[in-house]
Amino acid sequence: MALLARSLRIVLAALLVIQPVLVETARAQEAAAQPAALPVAEEETYKPVDKDERGLWMDTEEGERQLKASQQVIRDPALNAYVRKVLCNLVGQGKCTSIRLYIVRTPDFNASMAVNGAMVVYSGLLLRTQNEAQLAAVLGHEYTHFAGHHGLRMFRQVKEKSAAAAWLAFTGIGLIASFSMAASLFSYSRDMEREADSGGLALMAAAGYDTREASKVWEQLRAEMDATAAVRNTKSRKDKNGGIFATHPPTAERVTNLAQMATANPGVAGATGLDSYSAAMGHWWPVFFDDQLKRNDLGASDYLLAALAQQGWSPWLLYARGELYRRRALGNDIADAEKFYSQGIEAGGELPELWRGRGLARLKLERPEDGKTDLNEYLRRSPDAVDKAMIAMMAGETR
Amino acid sequence: MKKRNLLLAALVLASLPAAPALAGWKLVPHAKPIAVAKGTLTVTPDADWNRWSVRPIKKGEVWTLDGTGLNEVYFVSGLIVGETLYRDADKKNRPLPTLTKGMTLTDIPEFFESSNRIALNTSLFTVTGVEPAKMGERDAVKFNYEYAVEGSPLKRRGMAIGSLSGGVLYLISYTAPATHFYEQNRAKAEAIMASAHY
Repeated sequence: MALLARSLRIVLAALLVIQPVLVETARAQEAAAQPAALPVAEEETYKPVDKDERGLWMDTEEGERQLKASQQVIRDPALNAYVRKVLCNLVGQGKCTSIRLYIVRTPDFNASMAVNGAMVVYSGLLLRTQNEAQLAAVLGHEYTHFAGHHGLRMFRQVKEKSAAAAWLAFTGIGLIASFSMAASLFSYSRDMEREADSGGLALMAAAGYDTREASKVWEQLRAEMDATAAVRNTKSRKDKNGGIFATHPPTAERVTNLAQMATANPGVAGATGLDSYSAAMGHWWPVFFDDQLKRNDLGASDYLLAALAQQGWSPWLLYARGELYRRRALGNDIADAEKFYSQGIEAGGELPELWRGRGLARLKLERPEDGKTDLNEYLRRSPDAVDKAMIAMMAGETR
Repeated sequence: MKKRNLLLAALVLASLPAAPALAGWKLVPHAKPIAVAKGTLTVTPDADWNRWSVRPIKKGEVWTLDGTGLNEVYFVSGLIVGETLYRDADKKNRPLPTLTKGMTLTDIPEFFESSNRIALNTSLFTVTGVEPAKMGERDAVKFNYEYAVEGSPLKRRGMAIGSLSGGVLYLISYTAPATHFYEQNRAKAEAIMASAHY
């Protein structure tokens, strides 16, 4: 039984993240049974109140202990302070002090919040939310899961229904019944997601953000999936789904619902926090994008670059675009890459890698003299580069 | 009683996972030249190694001294345009990069890094040094790297040598935990790399 409870908790952990698990239509709309009233889980002194909750806390605390030791956690005080500031603006100073924030370096779009108040934000999310209001939308969504005890409520549902489903299946008559019971669990999960979407938007409005930004997060994600599919020549996953076994509502539905909620509760129009967001992320975007560009997903990477370039193509954005095309190296990619590096240099870029990239591209374009000049310029600007010996050889070889 | 024991033994056997039962290790004796990864890449180790019967890709081969978690040498012999460095396990969602036409030596560490980041599902992968080298008579690139996988505090370190001939890739990598094990067997891995030719 302990093993069952433990595996349920693991299933559960997968259910309450914001990841865009894609679904079709939420048909099963079984009313989500509310548990006995729980105190709001946001006070600093809050402690688990019963056996289920204590068990959940124990497991999440073990997970958090491992997370603390992980090399993936980004410990930069400035970045952590900024994300925490956005969170505190959203939920209030008193309530945010008990939340432990972990920013982890992984290029996926994701965030989650455990029942014990440990919040995990992926660097891939920070690359994809385009302003502070969009980040606030996601943080508010996760906080609503936490404050509403969604983790615990879900755990109880899973425990009750899976026990019943197992028994029904055992009797030999209940296969269909156990199937529909499992389906209703996922419906319950989707209902909590809807609750978190509306709760998150209300927090955004109260904190003075433009709530129209919430639906844009999902619109952007759908467009990114289209971009991935277009380059890979596959079908876009944006409307792909788990059907009745989906943990989250369809993204199309979320876009519509969030947009409607924003009309009813607009917050402060135009308050997107773009400048403060750009300032806080400026140092980290090149790092996060580097992780993204090495994922072999040119469509999504190019889409994200264009999104970041809304205020103009800065030299590092042009550099990143050059890297993207040079690494893919299909068709005209090398010639395009050479052009992007050149634009970056012309725009006043000082990143030594601009010359490295252009030099390597020019060598491939059979412009050995130009390539050699660029590679030497790279070595002059970056005398301690990790690849200096190799590049020096390439620069010399073409003399 | 005997029957019952047999039955028990059969049950135990049946419940064992299939792969380890099929996977095997073969001794690779030292000081004898041996062709690896079903290709023309040939090495002469200076110590006894163990070759895994499971190949990550048709043109790949894995060796170890004490188990792949402690030290692992990966050989790739004759990878051509369009092929991946490892098995493309999740091609639909997370496709590995393929060898492209016109690749040069400087592209090998980038190809290796991107392949590993996707295969290991980690962003904590850094190339720490790249220098020119030789694989037999041919030009090659030698590089060092470090990585950690998600959820693990263990840092691994590695070095690799890669060479291209007519757009075809030959590569040997050595990976081990950064603490103690990497240094412990580095010389043996270097001996393999120094003896390599194709």
